[in-house]
Amino acid sequence: MADERSSDAVPIRWDDHAAHFELDADVYRLAAVQRTAYRLAARCTALVAAPSTSKIAVTLHLPRDGNDAARREVVDIFFRELLDQELREQVRAETAPVRALLLAVAFSRSGLKSPG
Amino acid sequence: MAVRFRDRDAFEPCGGYKLLPLRFTALDADRYVVTNDVGEYALLDRASLHAFLRYRLDPRSETYRTLKARHFLYDDDNSAALDLLALKLRSRAEPISTWTGLHLFVVTLRCDLACRYCQVSRQNEDVGSHDMSPEHAERAVEMVFRSPNRHQKIEFQGGEPLLNFPRIVQIVERVEALNRREGRDIQFVIATNLSRLDDEVLAFCRQHHVHLSTSLDGPADLHDAQRPARRGSSHARTVEGIARAREALGHDRVSALMTTTPASLDRVDDIVDEYVRLGFASIFLRSLSPYGFAAKSLVRRYTSEDWLRFYRRGLDRVLHANAIGHPMREEYTAILLQKLLRPTGTGYVDLQSPAGIGIGALVFNYDGAVYASDEGRMLAEMGDETFRLGHLDQDDYEAMMTSPALLSALDESLAESAPMCADCAFLPYCGADPVFHRATQGDLVGHKAFSAFCAKQMGALRHVIDLFERDSDVRALMLGWG
Repeated sequence: MADERSSDAVPIRWDDHAAHFELDADVYRLAAVQRTAYRLAARCTALVAAPSTSKIAVTLHLPRDGNDAARREVVDIFFRELLDQELREQVRAETAPVRALLLAVAFSRSGLKSPG
Repeated sequence: MAVRFRDRDAFEPCGGYKLLPLRFTALDADRYVVTNDVGEYALLDRASLHAFLRYRLDPRSETYRTLKARHFLYDDDNSAALDLLALKLRSRAEPISTWTGLHLFVVTLRCDLACRYCQVSRQNEDVGSHDMSPEHAERAVEMVFRSPNRHQKIEFQGGEPLLNFPRIVQIVERVEALNRREGRDIQFVIATNLSRLDDEVLAFCRQHHVHLSTSLDGPADLHDAQRPARRGSSHARTVEGIARAREALGHDRVSALMTTTPASLDRVDDIVDEYVRLGFASIFLRSLSPYGFAAKSLVRRYTSEDWLRFYRRGLDRVLHANAIGHPMREEYTAILLQKLLRPTGTGYVDLQSPAGIGIGALVFNYDGAVYASDEGRMLAEMGDETFRLGHLDQDDYEAMMTSPALLSALDESLAESAPMCADCAFLPYCGADPVFHRATQGDLVGHKAFSAFCAKQMGALRHVIDLFERDSDVRALMLGWG
């Protein structure tokens, strides 16, 4: 599970309004990275790749019309959101059996079961 | 001496706890909203959220007890938690099966006003070809009774529906005749600008318990600028109509709605004050919809953030009105509170998942076409027939209610499976709006990072939850709204 960390803990290479960095796949799940990229689509365009089983490579293309501080803020937001998404993945995985059980119990007397 | 009672610590859970399904979203810089599928919520700071999700919560803490009571965790001490949660889930989902409870009859597209934001393409008031025929009215009434819902609201829309009053009379009388054997709870509403209100209309409304819903955009200068009449002041005519209708039907049988245009944004205090002055106990701070003339001219001229500023200030003004002795409710806030506080949420069709299209509301257009929602027929007036379910001349009820136009829209737009929505803590209080996203993004689901609907919902919910939690006086008042 992910620890509390910010972009300071991950080396970032800056290149013409883009931020490149690699994430440890043992810390962050690919699904969490993808969901983060989707959620922040209005602020940046993210390219996500998995060059190896242990690394997730991310490139964030940031708006050209802002200054460096604004671009760094988007990267900080990305890492904050990433931590939330990783926690959501954890909750989703840990509660999956309970979720299925709840739905089954909730609708067991609703008459909505297939007769077959 | 024998021990009769054990110390309280003996009952504290000792075997750790397990998580129940939940979602969380930042409320502001410091706090998170945690919710579950039955609509319970809790506010936690970031450190408490992390401690909770990492199983480090102290079982003796207040936070632990709150999360346990609201079904976010369970432990050895409450083995019945899952059964109780399942029961609540079933109650929350039960309204889905009640089926369509709102039927709208567009009895004419003709109108005697030329409103700048009109969401349907109005037609000249003398053109009879834009009236619903008696045959289509008859078939539509039969279709109303195909819905199993025991509670029905039948709303007459336009244009200005009173320009085709004979069709309203036919429909009301036919519904009442059929309902003598059905025995359903049926409410009639005419959405009218009141310009054609006369003794005959009022007598009919009194006899058949018909409610009137009118438009009032604020004080005279604002209202007249937005809803210009061909002759004289539409505001004066509306105010006169409200007084006349109240006298004939009773104070509470007349309600009013306002629409926010760019000209309204800095006038919300004046708008609320006008509703207070006219004795209304309710106001609905509505944003413009991206349909009809509004889409062409006005809707792009203000953002979700503009509307949220308007809404927050307007809600403050409504709370102030209550504080100085004028009881008043803001309807959008009330809908959100009902979703937050009631076990079964609310039937408001715009905030449902599955969406309220078709299974919540059905629209019979003047020309016999049937649409899955009022916004769906507005979109059709702009040339997009995505939400057209069929036609009263050609299609039966089964064909329309199982048409791909309805089923695929319901299936695709389910918020529980939509990206971002599926993870969002506000999901139990929000809904899918496939018509809005089709109109604004050309897609039934839409990308919520770019969605004005999403920005509006999240902004309003954050504000309402914050107010509800922060101010005990506001909380006491809002409990009455919910």
